[in-house]
Amino acid sequence: MPRRGDVIGLGLFVVFCVVFPLVAPGSLVNVGVYAMIYAIAATGLSLLMGLAGQVSLGHAAFFAIGAYAQAILVTRYDLYGVLAAVVAVVIAMVVALLVGIPLLRLRGHYLALATLGLGIIVTVLATESEFTGGTSGIYGIGKPEFNSRTYDSPQEFFWLLTPFVVVAVLLARNVVQSRIGRALGAVNDSEVAAETLGVDTFRLRLQVFVLSAAYAAVSGIFFAHWLAVVNPNTANFPLSVKFLLMAVLGGLGTVWGAVIGAFGVEFLDEGMRELIPVLVPGAVGEVQLIGFGVVLVVIVVFLPGGLHQAWRMVLARVRRPSGDVSEGRAEATEDDSPVMVREGRPVAGSVLLEVRGLTKQFGGVTAVDDVTLDVRAGEILALIGPNGAGKTTCFNMVSGVLAPTSGTVKLNGVRTDGRKPHIFAQLRATRTFQNLQVFRSATVLGNVMVGRHLRARSGLLRGMLVLPARAEERAVADAAYEVVRLVGLEGERHRPAGELPFGRQRLMELARALAVEPDLLLLDEPMAGLSSSERRALARLLRRLRAGGMGIVLVEHDVEAVLALADRVAVLDDGRLIALGSPEEIRTDPAVVAAYLGVDEDDTAARAAARELAAQVEET
Amino acid sequence: MSDLLQLIFSGLSIGAVYALIAVGFVAIFTVSEVINLAQGEFAALAGLVAISAVGSGMPLPVALVVAIATVTVVAVVMERVTVAPVKRLTTLTSIILTLGVSTVLKALMLLIWGPEGKGLTPFPGGDLLVFGVSIRAQELWILGIAAVVAAAVWWFYERTIVGKALRACSEQPIAARLVGISPKLATMLAFGIAGLVGAIAGVIASPVYFSSWDSGLSLGLKGFVAATLGGLVSIRGALLGGVLLGVLESLVAGYVDTGLRDAVAFVLLIVVLVVRPAGVFGRHAEARV
Amino acid sequence: MLEVREVVAGYGRLEVLHRVSVQVETGEIVAVIGANGAGKTTLLRVVSGLLRASNGTVLLDGVDVTRLPAERLAAAGLAHVPENRLVFPTLSVEDNLTLGGWTRRRGPRGETESQRQRALDLFPRLQTRRRQPAGTLSGGEQQMLAIARGLMARPKLLVLDEPSVGLAPKVIAEIFATLARLRDDGLTILLVEQNARAAFKVADRVYVMDRGEVAMDGNPTELLTDQRVHQAYLGGGYTA
Repeated sequence: MPRRGDVIGLGLFVVFCVVFPLVAPGSLVNVGVYAMIYAIAATGLSLLMGLAGQVSLGHAAFFAIGAYAQAILVTRYDLYGVLAAVVAVVIAMVVALLVGIPLLRLRGHYLALATLGLGIIVTVLATESEFTGGTSGIYGIGKPEFNSRTYDSPQEFFWLLTPFVVVAVLLARNVVQSRIGRALGAVNDSEVAAETLGVDTFRLRLQVFVLSAAYAAVSGIFFAHWLAVVNPNTANFPLSVKFLLMAVLGGLGTVWGAVIGAFGVEFLDEGMRELIPVLVPGAVGEVQLIGFGVVLVVIVVFLPGGLHQAWRMVLARVRRPSGDVSEGRAEATEDDSPVMVREGRPVAGSVLLEVRGLTKQFGGVTAVDDVTLDVRAGEILALIGPNGAGKTTCFNMVSGVLAPTSGTVKLNGVRTDGRKPHIFAQLRATRTFQNLQVFRSATVLGNVMVGRHLRARSGLLRGMLVLPARAEERAVADAAYEVVRLVGLEGERHRPAGELPFGRQRLMELARALAVEPDLLLLDEPMAGLSSSERRALARLLRRLRAGGMGIVLVEHDVEAVLALADRVAVLDDGRLIALGSPEEIRTDPAVVAAYLGVDEDDTAARAAARELAAQVEET
Repeated sequence: MSDLLQLIFSGLSIGAVYALIAVGFVAIFTVSEVINLAQGEFAALAGLVAISAVGSGMPLPVALVVAIATVTVVAVVMERVTVAPVKRLTTLTSIILTLGVSTVLKALMLLIWGPEGKGLTPFPGGDLLVFGVSIRAQELWILGIAAVVAAAVWWFYERTIVGKALRACSEQPIAARLVGISPKLATMLAFGIAGLVGAIAGVIASPVYFSSWDSGLSLGLKGFVAATLGGLVSIRGALLGGVLLGVLESLVAGYVDTGLRDAVAFVLLIVVLVVRPAGVFGRHAEARV
Repeated sequence: MLEVREVVAGYGRLEVLHRVSVQVETGEIVAVIGANGAGKTTLLRVVSGLLRASNGTVLLDGVDVTRLPAERLAAAGLAHVPENRLVFPTLSVEDNLTLGGWTRRRGPRGETESQRQRALDLFPRLQTRRRQPAGTLSGGEQQMLAIARGLMARPKLLVLDEPSVGLAPKVIAEIFATLARLRDDGLTILLVEQNARAAFKVADRVYVMDRGEVAMDGNPTELLTDQRVHQAYLGGGYTA
C-alpha cells in the first residue's frame, strides 16, 4: 500500500528531476548526472546495509564489473546496448553470489573486509589484464540511443536517468515492505528469534547482497555510457567510500536516503574541489576525501541514523504526539474450548519430540548431562530445576540455537540436533525466550506477521513487484490478526512493540510463536514478570492449546503454577535429569526437595531433613 | 634454489611488517571488539613524518622517535575523540567509523606530503650476499626490529601487570571491571599500543617499500588478513600470519605473476574464513554462547 | 557497613527489584536466599555497580555509591566475587591474585606479595597450583581463587554471588568454613545463595527474597523451620 509520505516524496522528486536541468547551470547539471548515476548504486548499498545488516567496503567492484562488462560487450562485440546491460548485470550478480556464499555465513566484519579486498582485486585485474584494456581501459562507448534520439547532453542524460532512479527506489521500497523485508528487519532486531520463526537468514542476506550488486552494476553501465571511457580508476577505493558515505548520510535502509545522500555527497565533492585549492594552494589529487572522512565520523558519532534520523527528529518536534493508538484492551474471555487445532497434526499421545542422551560441555564444564525424555502431542511437560541446572541450555539445543556435544534430538522422527533453528521451525516447532527477543522496529502485528514467514512463499522478485504477492500478504496479515485476537492483544496491535509493558510483550512473543502454527511449542519462563491475573489467563490459554493437540514444554520457576498446569514434570539438577513424573510424584520426591533447598555435607542429616520437609509439604 | 631463497627472504621481510600491523588489530579488537581500519594509516603516517623529520635536519634516530611518538599520540587522540564518545559501538559501526578516520588521515597526508611516494633514508649498514641471496641492510633491520618488537609485545602481555590486565579485560570483561580495571582506559591503552607498533612497522618499512598517502590501504588490509589467521584474538597467530602472508605473496609474485601479488591476501582471507574461522594459528576457540 | 534503601532496578522494561532494602552490619555474614528469578543476583549487580538502579540508594560505609560504575567500587572497598567465578582463564593463579590487587598495585612493595601469600595460606589447595592457568582448575578451586582474588583488594565488604553452584557438598562446606573464619577476623560478608541449607549454617542473618521483594528476614535458626521459607522456594505465593 503506497503510503502518503511515499507518494508525496515521489512526486517531489519527479518534479525536481524535471525542473533541475532546466534551471541549473550546466556545471551543476553535470554534477547532478553523476549524482543520479551513483544514486542507484547507493540505493542498493543502503538496502544491503540497512536491511541485511552487512557492510560492503568494496561496492565499487560491482560498479566496475558492470561498467567494464558493458563497455566490452558494446564496443568489442557490438552487442545491442540493452542486451549487453542484461548480461553485464548478470555477471555482477554471479560474482556477488560467489563472494557471498562463503562469507555471509560469518560475522559481518569479515564480509566488510573481504569486500574491501574484492575491490582491490578488481582494480588489480582491470589494470593487469589485456582483456580489459590494461591501464588505458576501454573507450569509445557510445551514448545511448532510443527512438533515434541520442542522449548526449547533461540535461538529456539526466532525464534519461530519472525513470531508472525512480524505479530503483520503488523496487527497493517494495523489498523493504515485503515478506523478505519484514523477515530481514526481524533479523536485525533479533537474529536468533527470527531464525526460530523459520527465517533462513543466510539465504535472505545472500539474495539482498546479490541484488545490491545488480544495482551497482546498473550504475556502472550508465557510467560507462556517460563517460564513454572505462578504466581502472573508474572504480577505486575512494568510490567505495563515496557509496558508503551516500548510504550512511541518507540513513541506512531508508528508501530515499541514498538518493539524497548521493546528491549531498556529489555536491559536497564538487564544493570541496572548488574550495580546497583556494584554501590550500597547490593541493592536488583527491583531497576532498577529507570532507568525506569527517562527515562519516560526524554521522557515526552524532547522528547514526543519517539525515533520515534528523528528519524524524524535526517531524517529532513539529507534529503533536498523536493520541494513544490502542483501541482499548479486549475483555478477557472465559472461553475454555480447544484452540489452534490443525488438521494433519500428530494424534494426541503420539511422540512429537524425542531427546536421547543430550549432553553439552563448555570447556571442562558439563552443563547438560545425558538428558533423555519424550514430549507427546496434547500434553504439557514442565521442565524445572534450580539455577544453573541447564534448563535453558536444553532448550537451546533442542531448538537448534546451540549444537549438542553429544546426543540426539528428533522431531517427528527427523533428526534436528545440530541443525539451524529455522529447520526446527520448518518442522513445525518453535520457542519463546527467557529474556524477550522483541522486534523493536515493528508493531505488535508486525511482530506476529514474522511468525507467518513459513506460511507464505513470496520471494524477492515477487516482493519487488508487489502485485503478485498482494493476496498472500493480505492472508498473512489476516492470519496474524487472528492470533493477536486470540491472546487478547488486538487493541494494541498497531503499537510499536517496544512500547508495550513487559507482560504484554511476553504475550506478543507467544502470539508470534503461535503464528507459526507449531505442533510443538517450547516456552522459556513465559510467566516471569506477569501479574497473577495474567498468569491465570496464560495458563488458560495453554490448556486450550493443549486441548487442540499441541505439545508444550514449559520452563518455569513458579513451581506452584507449573505443578497445577503440567501433565508431567521433568526436574533437572546440575545438568542431570533427576526426576520425571506426574506433578504429585515430583512434589513429594525428596531428591527434588533437596535439589531446591540445598544439601549439607552430612548426607544423612540432609536426607532426614528432606524427608521431614517432604512430610511438612504433605501436611499443607 | 637461490631464487627460491631470495623470494622467501623478501617475503619474510614484508611479512614482518604485516605481522606488526596485525598485532595492532589484535590489540584493539581483543579489548574492545573494534576493528580499526586506520591501522595501515598509522604506518604510512609514521613513515612520512620520519621522512620530513630527517628532511628538516634531524638525525635519523631522533626522527624515528619523533615519528613513532607522533603516531602513538594520534592513535590515542583518535580513540578519545571518535571511539570513546560513541555509546553503543558495534563492530560493524566501528568499521565505518574508523574508515572515516582513515579517510581523513589519508587526505591530510595527501595535502601535506603530496601524491608521490617517498622513501625514508635507509638505516645504516651494507648489503650482503649470502648463499646467492642478496640481502639489503634495511631488510635485516626490518627483521631484527620486528623480532625485538614481537618479543617486547610478548613480554608486555606475558610478564607485565598492565599487559595481564589487558588480557583480563578481553577474557573476562565483567570480572576485570569488578577488580577495578577500567574498560575505557584499557581501550585507550590498546589504541596506544596499536599506534606504537603500527608506527614502528611504518618507519622500518619506509626505506624499502616507500610511504605515501595511500600506502596504508594495502598495508592495513594485509595486516587484517594476517590478524585473521590468528582468529583476531591471538598475538602469536597474528605474527605467524603476517610472516606466512608475506612469504606466500612473494612466492606467488615470483612464480606466478607479479600483478597477482595483491590478490593473495584476499584469496587467503576467504580460504581461512571458510575453512577455519577461528584462525589457523589461534587457540582453540571457546564456544561463546 | 552496607545499606541498600528502597532500590528499584531491572532490565529494560522488566522491573526485577521492587523497592528492596537490605542492611549488613560490620563484621557479620548476611545471606540472601530465594528461588531463581527472585532477584538476588540483580540485587548484587546493583550493589557492585554492574547495573544501574532506577531508584533507591546504596551506601557503603556511609558513602553513597549508587551511581558508581563497577570499576570504581573495588577502590571504594567492595569486592564482588561473581556468579560462575569468572577467573581469568589463561592467566596463572598467581596472576589472578595479583590482578585482584589491581587497585592497590601502587602500594608499598612486597604488600602484594604478602597479600598473595596470605590468600594462598587461606586456601592451601591453591598453593600447589600457583603457576597453573586458572582455567585448568576444578570448579571448587576456581571458586576459592575467585574469593582469594576478591580478598586481595583488602575490601571492607566481600560480596559473593551463588558461590556453591556446581560444587560438591564437601567443597561447599570447606569454602563456607573459610568464610566464617574471615568473618571472625573482622571481614563483612554479603552472600547470595540458592543453597539455603549451606547458607543458613554460616550466616548471622538471613534475608529471604521472593519475586523481587524481601519476603522476610531474621535469624537462621528461626527461619530454618519456618514454613514460609519453604514456600518461597517451592511455590505457594501463587494465589489462585
